[in-house]
Amino acid sequence: MLPKGTARRRSDHPLWFLIPALVILVVFFFVPTVFNFVYAFTDWSSFKSAINFAGVDNFTSLFSNGTLLNSLKVTLVYAVLVAFFQNAFGLGLALLLERDTMVNRAVRVAFFIPVIMSALAVGYIFQALLKPDGALNGILGAVFGTSVSIPWLGSTTWTIVVVAVVHAWKWMGLSMLIYLAGLKTINEDVLEAARLDGANRWTMFRAIRFPLLAPAVTFNVATALLGSMNGFDIVQATTEGGPGGTTELLNIFIFRTFGQGLFAQATTMSLVLFLTVTILAFPVIRFLRKREDVL
Amino acid sequence: MKNRFRTALALAAAGALALTGCSDPGTGTESNGPVDWPAQDADLAGTTLTIWAAQNSNTVPESVIAGFEELTGAEVEVVTIPDPYEQGVQTKVATGDKPDLAFWQPTASQLTALNASQNLQPLDDAPWLDAYRPELRDITGTLDGTRYAALITTPAVQGVYYNKEVFAEHGITETPTDWDSFIQLARDLKAEGVTPFHEMAADRWGTQWWVQVQLADAAADGLWDRVNANEEQFTDETVQGAIETYQGLIEEGLFNEDIKTATFEDQGAALLAGDAAMVMQVNSFFGQLQSLADTAELDQKIGFFPISPSGNVGTFIPDQSNALVAFKTGDADREAAARQLLSYWLGDGYEDFVAAQSTVSLQTGVETPADVPQALLAVSDSLADSVGSMQALAIANPDLYIYLADMIQGTKTPAEVAEATQAQFEELAKAQGAEGF
Repeated sequence: MLPKGTARRRSDHPLWFLIPALVILVVFFFVPTVFNFVYAFTDWSSFKSAINFAGVDNFTSLFSNGTLLNSLKVTLVYAVLVAFFQNAFGLGLALLLERDTMVNRAVRVAFFIPVIMSALAVGYIFQALLKPDGALNGILGAVFGTSVSIPWLGSTTWTIVVVAVVHAWKWMGLSMLIYLAGLKTINEDVLEAARLDGANRWTMFRAIRFPLLAPAVTFNVATALLGSMNGFDIVQATTEGGPGGTTELLNIFIFRTFGQGLFAQATTMSLVLFLTVTILAFPVIRFLRKREDVL
Repeated sequence: MKNRFRTALALAAAGALALTGCSDPGTGTESNGPVDWPAQDADLAGTTLTIWAAQNSNTVPESVIAGFEELTGAEVEVVTIPDPYEQGVQTKVATGDKPDLAFWQPTASQLTALNASQNLQPLDDAPWLDAYRPELRDITGTLDGTRYAALITTPAVQGVYYNKEVFAEHGITETPTDWDSFIQLARDLKAEGVTPFHEMAADRWGTQWWVQVQLADAAADGLWDRVNANEEQFTDETVQGAIETYQGLIEEGLFNEDIKTATFEDQGAALLAGDAAMVMQVNSFFGQLQSLADTAELDQKIGFFPISPSGNVGTFIPDQSNALVAFKTGDADREAAARQLLSYWLGDGYEDFVAAQSTVSLQTGVETPADVPQALLAVSDSLADSVGSMQALAIANPDLYIYLADMIQGTKTPAEVAEATQAQFEELAKAQGAEGF
């Protein structure tokens, strides 16, 4: 016997109300994912019309070829760097712009604008800024009085950091917004009690405000980390995976393989990416949720 | 309730699986056998034809379209497919979207990539074939003995663009006659304080020319046939040796100092300004120079000579702006109209087209306009005895240029470049079902 409330809820909201949402979910999310699994085991290509089952052929040839593992490594490094920079910038901005003054409101809007800009546009703008004869070197040259021509996007070691900073710059406004919301939820009484106990600003931040921001950190770190695993546009526009393949994210590799007409291999790679993100998501989110237990 | 939910999910899953029936929507209609070629001026009122073009070829057909619309009453629409053009077109065709005509690289590898026998109209008995200069008629555009592409402009040739003024300043009156004298010339120039060569590794794609021109003799000797049959590999002496030579020249300091960060634009500016004496490039490089200087200045400053290990044999590489393919769309009338447009383009419309484009004529009966720059005439003259490039003769086109750029950046050795290229070539050949892979 169901409790009375539940019974009424059921007649208010019959299960078939789910159908429209479920249809969209199935057609746009479920089916593509299933296709992703199916085509990874075929020899689908642009060269012939028949699609045959090919077993684990794609997987063996991909894993025996070093490029996939290299791209996977680059993708992970990139994701970690983006997660770090985006959260550092976002948290810093949120703390700086915490008070609700007119100036702060205007500045918050300014920092949020990159979030709604096209990622490709951001990439191309930075590509122009960071060229050896670009604006950044021009400014540095004017400041130091010498001619500067640092190839910001030409280092096989540091360019991945530069593009991760660009990615973080684009999305830091979103992190800032979420951290701001988190800071607003902290109970004023707690802060006042700490102040009466003589805690200085740094202690207050370290011992009280940062731990209480745990839910915001969970969301920001998880979305930045897992979102940038799917990164493509900014890196494609700035470096196209270069120099020397050191910024070749898995998605850029997939794009290149698809362009060669090797559709099945490209699908296999996107399956590998999907599985990697899934495997990574669970422990990361679990760890971050655990931090929230102090609340 | 939970059970019903599960049933719903299971049903959805089953439905999704049913949708997953394995078929490729890009399958073409089968219609082989001889086709008729309508007269160039047959009435086409009410017919709309679509041409796919890339960002750098979408204005090429303008004069032809104007003339054709006037003559037949047809409507011709040019749709620009964003770069990277080849990938965009392949993806669209694979999902069943086809134009009537498209600009396309007329090489075996790129015709294979479009699945030509399924998707493209054969052009074997086209009326314009006899109008071509005899040495150009069969240079490219065929796959497995069937002609699928109509060549409209001269294919690009890989060779050396040089600054005539720099050569004159250093008393060089004759261009090199083989690889050894070419390299000796570079060393002499370097000794006199000139940067002999300019390369653009940041934009990557030009890097492959240096390897390909070194393969000209081997290509004439059937190198690509052997590679296609998997009897010879990129990792064997011929190709890997060429890659090693290229790296040796870079390490010797014969190239510009900013080789790692230089771009295509930098390359054009550097040659025109005389900052570098020579550039190994293809025709699109000359297009870049034309955007920087007028014909008179270019005639005065820029020259071209082909180079190969034993002489001055060019390596030709047709690109997407050189040719068109006609698709099997399943609509017989539109297919015929597409053939008619090609007949007009290479027939009555060709003289206007060549004049409007200021380009070298491919036909004996049509004069090359007087305003075509000398360097382009030199390129066109080198075509007759040129050999095919990797793109023209190999069944697949691996990303050799990316791996070479990696080598210049220092993340790959010449051996690794050859291995990566071979591995990708094998992947592509296997996907095509080529014998021996």
